[in-house]
Amino acid sequence: MDLSQYAELFLAEAREHLSACNQLLLEWERNSAAREPVGGIFRAVHTVKGMAATMGYVRVADLAHRAENLLDSLRRGSAAASDELLQLLFRTVDALERAVELSVTGRERELDVAALAAELDRAGSRVAPPPSHGRGTPAAPLPPSPAEVLPPTAPGRLVQVALRPESPLKGGRALVALRKAEALGTVHAVSPPVAAFEAEDFDGRFAFRLESDADAAAIAAAIKRAGDVDQVTVAEDESAAPRMESTAVEGGRTRHLRVDLRRLDALMDLIGELVIARGRLNELAALRRDPAIDDIAIHVSRLSTDLQAEIIQARMTPVWQVFDRFPRLVRDSARQLGKQVALRVEGKEIELDRAILDELGDPLMHLLRNAVSHGIEPPAERRRAGKKPEGEIVLSAVRERSSVMITIADDGRGIDRDRVLERAKREGLVDAHAEALSDDQLLRVLARPGFTTAEAVTSVSGRGVGIDVAMTRLRAVGGVGHERYALPLTYVSETVELGAAPTTTVEGRDAIVLRDRVVPLVHLRRLLAVSEDAAPPRSPIIVLEMGERRTGLVVDGMLGQQEIVVKGFDAPQGTLPLFSGATIMGDGVPALILDAGGLL
Amino acid sequence: MSHTVLVCDDAIFMRTMISDILAQAGFEVVGEAETGSQAVERYKQLKPDLVTMDIVMPDMGGIDAVREIVKHDPDAKILMCSAMGQQALVVEAIQAGAKDFVVKPFQPSRVLEAVQRVLG
Repeated sequence: MDLSQYAELFLAEAREHLSACNQLLLEWERNSAAREPVGGIFRAVHTVKGMAATMGYVRVADLAHRAENLLDSLRRGSAAASDELLQLLFRTVDALERAVELSVTGRERELDVAALAAELDRAGSRVAPPPSHGRGTPAAPLPPSPAEVLPPTAPGRLVQVALRPESPLKGGRALVALRKAEALGTVHAVSPPVAAFEAEDFDGRFAFRLESDADAAAIAAAIKRAGDVDQVTVAEDESAAPRMESTAVEGGRTRHLRVDLRRLDALMDLIGELVIARGRLNELAALRRDPAIDDIAIHVSRLSTDLQAEIIQARMTPVWQVFDRFPRLVRDSARQLGKQVALRVEGKEIELDRAILDELGDPLMHLLRNAVSHGIEPPAERRRAGKKPEGEIVLSAVRERSSVMITIADDGRGIDRDRVLERAKREGLVDAHAEALSDDQLLRVLARPGFTTAEAVTSVSGRGVGIDVAMTRLRAVGGVGHERYALPLTYVSETVELGAAPTTTVEGRDAIVLRDRVVPLVHLRRLLAVSEDAAPPRSPIIVLEMGERRTGLVVDGMLGQQEIVVKGFDAPQGTLPLFSGATIMGDGVPALILDAGGLL
Repeated sequence: MSHTVLVCDDAIFMRTMISDILAQAGFEVVGEAETGSQAVERYKQLKPDLVTMDIVMPDMGGIDAVREIVKHDPDAKILMCSAMGQQALVVEAIQAGAKDFVVKPFQPSRVLEAVQRVLG
């Protein structure tokens, strides 16, 4: 059977199980007397072993098997999680992760885990050997011929059975055979006793007496139906050769459908094109004022919206798929630095587009490392500050309108504003006479590439590309006619007119007062370095909002709302860092999308 | 009429593989379960002709699930899926009422043989 079709599924699931192992190891480390985590790790490793063996990844299966032996002893014993043991298990999980990746790419041979395997075996033998399962009868050496030990007084015919030497788990098979015999009558004097079937070295030969009306041939046939039976002797009657069972193979049917992410990407792109075409159809319909075209345009509109929603849904992945590897990362970084840190993850079930989620992994990893290395203090310093020695980092995902806000917060020493200010002054990033940094300035300074003095703990927000980005078209009257810009409606909280709200100045910036809150203004013309001579006297202000932050964007005019498809944007050198992407409007003319997050 | 099957395993990989093997042989996989308690619940609901049951599963293990199912339906036809080295567990499962077992790694022919034995 062709196994390659299962390789990706194997990889995905093995990763998931190993990631679960990491979580459980962390849990065990925190609560070393607990047994449940060990049981969970055992099950996960066991599952990986079974899957790997099925795929023919012998080395993965072997390593998993050794780990499983150790874990089995651990979960049945009472040994607490020692540091040494945990390290070994962490390393084993790492090795399994690597082994799985290598195996799937056909490079299993590169794997060298002999040392680790030996270490696992040694650890396994150090942990007290587990009491054997079930009734716990130790495996006694089997008599050469089981029939000899049958009590002569037992009623019924003597039945002797030998299983095929290659049969796996002979004890189980023997019991199945015994059940078949029991269906025909009463079984007495099983030898060796059934308890011995549980021993791994049970050799597959057993005997019993059967009180039954069935004839010898029927008894033999029934027992052979247990499978893997090599020989059955009923009284003096020799039975026929093992019957080969035929298996009818009928027409196959596919029940599962696994889809490559690239397929979905391609679908996404096509739908993007469709949305653009739809936009043009809508414009055409508006132009022609033909109700028939209008009807079709509306229908196409609805269908493509549904289609888009379906595809987006198919791509959505819960954030835990990426977040789950972080607790281990935080633990390892903390250990290296001699710190104690617990990572709390919130909003694991929140879903994001798979592609965005994959992109988020790395930046989040850096921020978390930052939080551990710069934010959280060493235990002694924390104690001096009256905090508990273990620091806490919270990684949370929260849905906010059509955005997902991902926040990393720590209870560490925070950002040393004085140091940042000093450095910022030295580098000429802020006015040399500034007394303090506003939050805005602080962020801007910290976000500069290469700025290393301070501890950057910030939030990153990911926005769903391809989510219907409704937008407002903006027009800027420059030297060369009209320019249109797009702004994601997600961030637009309201629009007001300049002059309608009281204006003021805050820290040298224009601002308006809106319902008792000061909203700083950004003039799009100034931002784009367009002459302000032709600016209309009464400009609309688009109030952008994200979380607690608000900014008013002063524009020349608003053109409307429209669904657009966000295209990747490679900003040419020297472009203002104001745009998050580009789109093609319904009339085929490109427009730049303003980076609302950046404006805030 | 093809036989109906409930496939119980905590690994999607395993469920998929078993389902594929059985579906290709003309069986109708009517349900899947990833924990023991789910298996019991689905069994009562779907009344399948055959159950394939992994031994090691979270929540409720396969053996306890066998006990529960047999308590509910003494004629339940349950095929255990076991790994090498689980002799004691397999013995326990059969004592609990499982009809037969197959050993991972699965070979389609072995699985189908066992299924025929259980249904035959």
